[in-house]
Formats: sequence, structure tokens, C-alpha cells
Amino acid sequence: MASEDDNPQGDSSHAPASAKNPFNFQTQFMDAPVKSNIGQRRGHRYKHSSISAQHQFFQEPPPRPPPVLPASLPIPTLKEAWGSMDRDQRARLYWCCCHAAVAIYVFFSAENSLAMTALSHLVFFDVGSAAVCVAVDVLGNFEVWRRSSIRHPFGLQRAEVLAGFAMSVFLVFGGFDLISHNLKHVLETVGEHSPHHPPSSHSHGAGGTRQVSPGTVDFASLAAVVSTLISAYGLRNHNRIRRVMRVPLPYLSSLFPGDAGGILANPFHFLTLFFAFLMLLLPLVSVPYFVWLDRVICAAIAGSMFVLGTRLAIAQGLMLLMSYSGGGAQDGTKQSQQTVAGNGSAASSNNNNNNNNNNNNKSTAGGGLGPKKTDNGGGSGGDNGSVSAVVREIEAEPQVARVDEAQFWQVHYGLAMANLKVCLVRGCDDGALSTLRTRLTRVVQNRLGEGYGRGGYLRWEVTVQTSTDK
Amino acid sequence: MASSYALPSSAIPQHFHQHSAEHLHSHSHSPSHSHSHSHSPSPLSSLSPSRKRRDSRAATGSHSHSHGHGHSHSRNQSSHSHSHSHEHTTSSHVHNEEHHEHNHAAHESNSNISVLHQSRLSLPPPLAPSSHWRTDSTPGGKPLVTPTDGSFDEIHKYEPPAAASGLHTHHEHSHHDHSTERSRFTNMLLPYTSKWPLIHTVMTEKDSRRIFYFMSLNLSFMFVQAFYGYVTDSLGLLSDSIHMFFDCVALAVGLLAAVASKWPPSERFPYGFGKIETLSGFGNGVFLILISVEIMFEAVERVIEGRETQRLGELFMVSTMGLLVNLVGMMAFGHHHHGGHDHGHSHGHSHDGHSHGPAKEHNHDHCDSHNHDHDHDHNHDHDHPHDHDHHIEKKHDHSHAHSHDNENMHGIYLHVLADTLGSAAVIVSTVLTHFWPWSGWDPLASFLIAVLILLSSLPLVKSSARRLLLTIPAEIEYNLRETLSGISGLRGVAGYAVPKFWIDDRNAGEDAPPNKLLGVMHVVAVRGADMEDVRDRVRNYLLGYGIDVTLQVEREGDTSCWCGVGRSPLSGGGLVFVYMMVGLVYLDTWLFVLQRE
Repeated sequence: MASEDDNPQGDSSHAPASAKNPFNFQTQFMDAPVKSNIGQRRGHRYKHSSISAQHQFFQEPPPRPPPVLPASLPIPTLKEAWGSMDRDQRARLYWCCCHAAVAIYVFFSAENSLAMTALSHLVFFDVGSAAVCVAVDVLGNFEVWRRSSIRHPFGLQRAEVLAGFAMSVFLVFGGFDLISHNLKHVLETVGEHSPHHPPSSHSHGAGGTRQVSPGTVDFASLAAVVSTLISAYGLRNHNRIRRVMRVPLPYLSSLFPGDAGGILANPFHFLTLFFAFLMLLLPLVSVPYFVWLDRVICAAIAGSMFVLGTRLAIAQGLMLLMSYSGGGAQDGTKQSQQTVAGNGSAASSNNNNNNNNNNNNKSTAGGGLGPKKTDNGGGSGGDNGSVSAVVREIEAEPQVARVDEAQFWQVHYGLAMANLKVCLVRGCDDGALSTLRTRLTRVVQNRLGEGYGRGGYLRWEVTVQTSTDK
Repeated sequence: MASSYALPSSAIPQHFHQHSAEHLHSHSHSPSHSHSHSHSPSPLSSLSPSRKRRDSRAATGSHSHSHGHGHSHSRNQSSHSHSHSHEHTTSSHVHNEEHHEHNHAAHESNSNISVLHQSRLSLPPPLAPSSHWRTDSTPGGKPLVTPTDGSFDEIHKYEPPAAASGLHTHHEHSHHDHSTERSRFTNMLLPYTSKWPLIHTVMTEKDSRRIFYFMSLNLSFMFVQAFYGYVTDSLGLLSDSIHMFFDCVALAVGLLAAVASKWPPSERFPYGFGKIETLSGFGNGVFLILISVEIMFEAVERVIEGRETQRLGELFMVSTMGLLVNLVGMMAFGHHHHGGHDHGHSHGHSHDGHSHGPAKEHNHDHCDSHNHDHDHDHNHDHDHPHDHDHHIEKKHDHSHAHSHDNENMHGIYLHVLADTLGSAAVIVSTVLTHFWPWSGWDPLASFLIAVLILLSSLPLVKSSARRLLLTIPAEIEYNLRETLSGISGLRGVAGYAVPKFWIDDRNAGEDAPPNKLLGVMHVVAVRGADMEDVRDRVRNYLLGYGIDVTLQVEREGDTSCWCGVGRSPLSGGGLVFVYMMVGLVYLDTWLFVLQRE
């Protein structure tokens, strides 16, 4: 009883008691659950203490350093990608949408003009490649794009090449499609001697094509021109697209040399602009719009799409096949000495597909892995930049006895790998080895790096496996 | 020459029914089967009529057993011996056996084929195997394994000239030998083709041969179509021949890829052409997606415009012919991409799939599936039977997903499938329009077909894209991580950097061990260790896991390499420091917690 009385008293006298307290902090009662230790094991928590070590049955494995590479990096979802975009990228994306709208407009305003349909295909292609550029840009914000992981040993950057390949398939497809449409139309008009099909008379026949009255502006082609110009100049897309679609086009670039050519040197914008202008101008200058003209324009567009598409597809397909063909096109003396000896003859018969069969055959007929290449040793000047020249230069190094294996291949637009297996002369110490490696790296980079100047910079990762003859 | 085997269309449906069970991927074992891996021709000596029938059937382009189990049915009434020439399921023999069970004399449908065969191809009659070209073309006297050859009494195999066999050196493998697994038709053609090395190369490989046959069928059909179209002034025929032409182009690309994939590595292509088939499959897939999108657009347009379909009769005829040709193609390519290369497991799974009881039960089994396929083929639902029949196989494939899955053939198959579905859709819509005149049937049907094509080509595009991106599949990745973490435990290794691995497809999955990797790595040797020793140790360690790596060995403290193994604090020795720091923080936390208690 007394204690019961005491308690409320104590509570009420709490304030004066605390006032007496020499320290001026308030006692606080925690609401947070205080863990009771009842029923729990009490013992040595610290597993490395001397006591714990005695009843540790299972020894932990020796510590390993964490892996150098992450196993896989997260691939961004759409939402994350959207969140990561900066203003510029977002503007590009919006523009892509506008451009796509223009393309659809052109497509549907084409009605029955084949040329207009073909033009819309070109615009679609521009949209597609611009979209690829945007996607590449955005994905570049993420680590998985560049950094290599075990899952993606070269990052995702190779996807750029793949997307380019898909776009070139689109071009080829467009070319095919247009050609077959064209052929069908031709056949239909040939087949229709008498227009006895009332429903079909609106779709073809002499007067059936899309009418733009002479002297007026064709809005669809105008839209195509304007959107292409905006895409090229306003957003500088054409540089990117050209970088993506890096394909040598000697005629065009010689036609429009240097920067003066600018946009025109880019085959895709060039095509779109050229044909769009053509179709814009034809009604303006009151050229009567013939059916045959329509077909000829369509055929021209289809043909150029097809040619460009195949070139692109081959260029990018080669990269996807893990080959390097950068400087390979110019060099004449191709030798296959660095492939594995057993493959030598067969290989050379296969890699001569671009030029100089004679040379190649001669060099293999000469039986020549060994002697031939030492003759040419230290190749310079003319076949600068070719793989075999580089290999020869490497073999000319004093410390190098021979090159056992050399694999050069391009991973994506910005990266290539050179894997060399080199046999050294005896008596190289560590320092010499290190400098030799540096030198080889420099040789490869300088010869094949394609330089900063010409737009694309190709980085070479050189790996040299050395051995010494015993 | 190959065009000469174009079948008259009347024979094709029967033909198809008869062999539709090819999807099954199973082989039946009768009680007294002998599972010989043997390469000796001895158990194969007896010759059964149906065997030959099958060969003649194979000549029609649906020859699908080439890589396969050579199931030689050396069956004297009750026993047949399966000589498994290794993995590679195939399939077609199932069917054959069904006929077997029926009788050994000329089965009706079989004889149909063989008669056809004789008449069209001017082959020697199938029951008289000892035609002279076979006997005199046996320079090597190679022991024969496969049904094709085993089924002929003591007849050796035609062996390709050295020029061609040189190309296949990596296939000369004790377990299965491609050159021995050809149809009789091919064997008949081969001596003639040896004069043209290019064609000969095409003919000696199974995949390319199939594509080649089908392409020549397509081409000849195209010419026939164009000719008749021109003569009869039929628009439908002409435009369909244009379509056929484009198909032929696609096939030609596939053929090129199939041939090129066998080319050896060269300076320019250090890793060979293993990827070219994947590339072609990817291209085909993208192409199909584009086509189906276009078809959808057109269908919408047509519904809006309400254009009517004209010339129903002509359309019907043309598309029926197209359907027939494409059905042949379906049979040729249909089961490839699953049956393909199941290194050693197909055996087991087919046991799973079918109880190998007495022969009766067996027979029943096949009849079942036979009907099943038949039904579906006429419902224009080709995907379905495929999936269905392969469900076991699929699971299996999943379990080791790196069996070489030929994307090229898959792409071609899908392409042919798309064409088949397209003509089937036209047939159905013309019939429907005939009975219920509504202009929307055709767009509706083509829209549906387009959706189907789109959906079926998406997986192809995805898987081939993944392979082209050099992605390491998840299971390999897991093992690879384990393997990599073991490297730093090797003696003399201080650390490693820039490990990059990719899958080796130099000899595209024929007899290569699965999951072989190639790669590049830089390794840091501790001071005092012999660099060559370290190199050999690491290389051998990795080779033990099937990884062939180009290894650059650097000395500890050498910071000159681009890989930056000595430079950055986050790699090599620097890691240890970071690790220790983390440990210290951890320890600190613990001490803090302990104090609190």
C-alpha cells in the first residue's frame, strides 16, 4: 500500500528531483523497443577472438580479392533511360517524333504516287537513323554501355553496329519493296488493255497518279525537305548518322569535297534532299507529271536505297563478323602468314575477295610464309595502315623473332583489338619487354588508329603474349 | 539439274502427310535394337525396301537426317539396328518406321513417291541399288555409318574429291561424318557436281544443300510461273513470280551464309565465319519484321479503302501453288533449328519422349503424331505443331542452351513459314470471300498472319542479336566468374585485368565442345616469379575450363600498359588496400557496437 502511495508521489515530485540534478539533460525513456537479451545466446560475438577460434569447425575460405570485373551491369529500363536524359537529348527525341510524324504524313499523302512512297521510305530511314543516334546517346549515359563486364565483355556499344546493320537491312528491304511495287504497277498497266475494273481505275492508269496542280507547292515534299534540313543543321544529326553509317563513298565525297559538301556528303541526307527537291520543283516549273516520270523517280530511289543498303550492310556485317577491314581495302599485298600455319593456303584463297588475286596467288604459290615476308619486312609508305604491313613492322623489331599469331578485329566503331602472340629472341628482361610492348601498342595504334582528324577515332587494345624459343 | 526434281503438285500433299512426323525427333527402338556407335558397315548390311524409299523421299528436298542419327534400319522383319552416329537428332526416320510396321512391300504412299521419283528423276529404280556409279566411285573405301549407305549392300560411299574434303577437315570426326550422310539423290548428283567446285561445296554440306535444293525448286517454279503468266496474261502469276524471285534472293543470301560459315579463319577474319549464319539469321529476322509491319500497314489501308479482291479464281490457283512449294520448303527446313545439335543428349531425350515398348505401341505412337501434324498443317498453324512436338526437346535445349542453334536455318525457315502462311491466308480469304462477300476478309487474314510472323521472328532477332553482341550467356557467365576468381589464387599471380571473353564459334558447333571461349587477359606476375611460368600456368588453368586466352603477362609495378593494371588504385595491388580499408571500417563498427553494449 505504501509503495502504491509512494509511486504517484514520486511521479509528481519528478520535476523537483530533476531540478536537483547537477546535469542539465533530461532523462528520456526510449519508446523504441529495447531488445532484451533474455533467451539469447550470450557469448563471444566477435568471431575472431581467441575463444571463438577454438570452436570454429568450419574455417572460412581464404579471402579472395573482389573480382576485377562486375559480373553484369544493370541494363537500364525505359524509365531509367528517360530519367537520365538531359535537355539536349530530350530535344533530339522530340524532334525524332516530329520527324516521324512528317514521314508518316509523306507516306499517307503519297496516295498512288510511287515516287512519293519512295521518298517517304527515305524519310523513314532518316527518322530511324536519327532515333538510333538518340538511343545511342542516351544509353551512353549508362555504365553498361561502355564498361566491360563478364556478361558484356565489350559493353553494349556493339549494339550501335547492330542497329546500323538493322537500318541497312531496312534500306535493302525498302529497295526491294519499292522495286516490286513498281514492277507490279508496270505489270498491271501492261495487263490492263481495257479498263474493265471500275474499282481499280482509281489506283492506276494514266490519270490515276497523285495530282499536284502545276505551279503550286507540294506540301509533302516541302515537309520532307524542311524536316531533313532541320535534322541536319538544327540538330547536327547528320554528323552522327554519318559516323554511325561510316561507309566509304568515294564518288560523293569527291563530288563535294571537304566541309563545303557538308550535308551533301552524307549520302542519306543527300538522297532525301535531292529527291524531295526534285519532286518539289517538278510541279513548280510545270512539268507535267507523267506516270513514267513517277516510276523512274521511284526506281532511282529504290536503286540507290538498295545499293547504299547493301554497302552499309556489308560494312557493318564485316564488323559484326569480328573482322578488321579498315585499311585492308587499300593494300595490295595481302599475306596470310600470321594465321596458323595449317590454314595458310586456304586462308589466302579466301581473303582475296577485294582485290589483287594475282598478287595473292603468287605469294602463296611461292610457298611463302617464311621468305616472302622477310623480303617485304618493314613495309612502309604505300600500304600504310594495312594489317599485314603492321605485322611486318612488328616482325622487323629487333627483339621479335616471329609473330606466331595475330588477330586484328574491330569490336565497334570506337574500339578494336589486336591480339598478338609473339615469339621473342632470347634474353629479354622485364624492362625490355615492357618497352617492347609499349612500342608495339604504339605501332598498332598509329598505323591503324585512323587518326583523330577524320572524325572517328579508333582505339586499339593491344594484347601481346610473349614467348621465347627454348 | 536440281531443278529437275520439282514435284508435280498432285503428289505433294501426300508426300507431306507422310512425313510430317518428322517433328518428332524420336527414334524407336524395337526390342532387339542394337545401339551401335559402330562405324563398321557390318550391322548395316541388310537392306530393306523402305529404307530406299526413304532415301528417295529425302531426295525431294525434305531430307533432314543428314546430321542425324543415322538410323540405319537394317531390318529384317523384326529387328532394326540404330547406329547412332552421335547426337544431332533428326527425325525423319520415325516416319519411315511407321511404314515399316505396316509392311515391307511397297506401301501405297511410298510407292507413290518412288514411282514419282523414278519418273521425274530418272533414277535407277530404288529396289535395285547396285547402280554402277556407286560402286566405281569409292576411292577411299571409307567405312560407312549412316543409313544412306548402310542400307545398300556392301556398297561403299561416294567420297568427295580431295578438294572438297579439305574444306571439311574439322568435320572429319570419328563420330559423325557429314560426307556419309546424304540422300541418295544427292549421291547421284555428286559425281556430276565435282566438276564445279562451288556447287560441289554447296552439295557436300547438309544445310547448304537443303537451301540449294529448295532454292532451285523455287527458281524453277518461278520460271514456270513467269512463263505461264506471260502466256496467259495472268497478273497474279506474274506478280507471284516476282515474289518468288525475292524469296530466291533471300535464299541465296542464306546459302551464301551457309557456305561461308565453313570457311576457315583468315587474316581478315581471325575468328572465322561462325557468326555469318547468325548475321544472316538476324538480317532475315529484321526483314521479316519489316515485311510484317508493312503488311499490317497495307491491311489497315485496304480496310479503310475497302478495296475489293478481284480474280478470285486466279488468286486461288496461284496461292495454292505457292503454298505447295512452300510446304516442301517447310519440310526441308522445319525442324532444323531445334533438332540441330544436341550434343549427345538427344538420345536420352528421345527415350523420355517415347516409351520404347513393343513395336506395336510404338507404331501407334507415330500414327498419333502423324495425324496430329497433318491436322495442323492444314489449319495454317504451323507454329503449333512444332512447339508441341518439341516440348521435350525444348526443355532440353534450355538445359544447355549453347548447343549451336543455327540461326541461319531458323531465319530461312521462318521466311518460308511466312510465305506459306501468306499463301494459306490468301486461300482462306478467297474462299471466304467467295462464300461471304466481304472485302475485309483478305486484310483481316493478312493482318493476323503478319502478327504471327512478327511474333515468331522476334525471338530469332533477339537471340541472334545477343550472340552478335558477344554476350556471354548466364550459365557460362556464372562458371566464368568462378574460374576467374580462381586465377588470383594461382602461384605467382598478383592480379589480373581486362578479362574479356567471347564464345568461340570458329567451327560452328559441328563437333566443337560446347561453351568454348576465347579471350584476352592481362595478368600481373609478382616480383620474382618467372613470367613464362606464370603465363603457362594461367593459360593451362584456363584451358582446363575450355578457355583459350591470349595472355599478356606484366610485371608487378609496371604501369605502362593501357589496361592500367598497376596504375589505378582499384585494380591489382590497389585492391588489397581498398579491401583492408573496408575491413577496418567494418572492425570499427563492431568495436563501436561492442562498446555500446
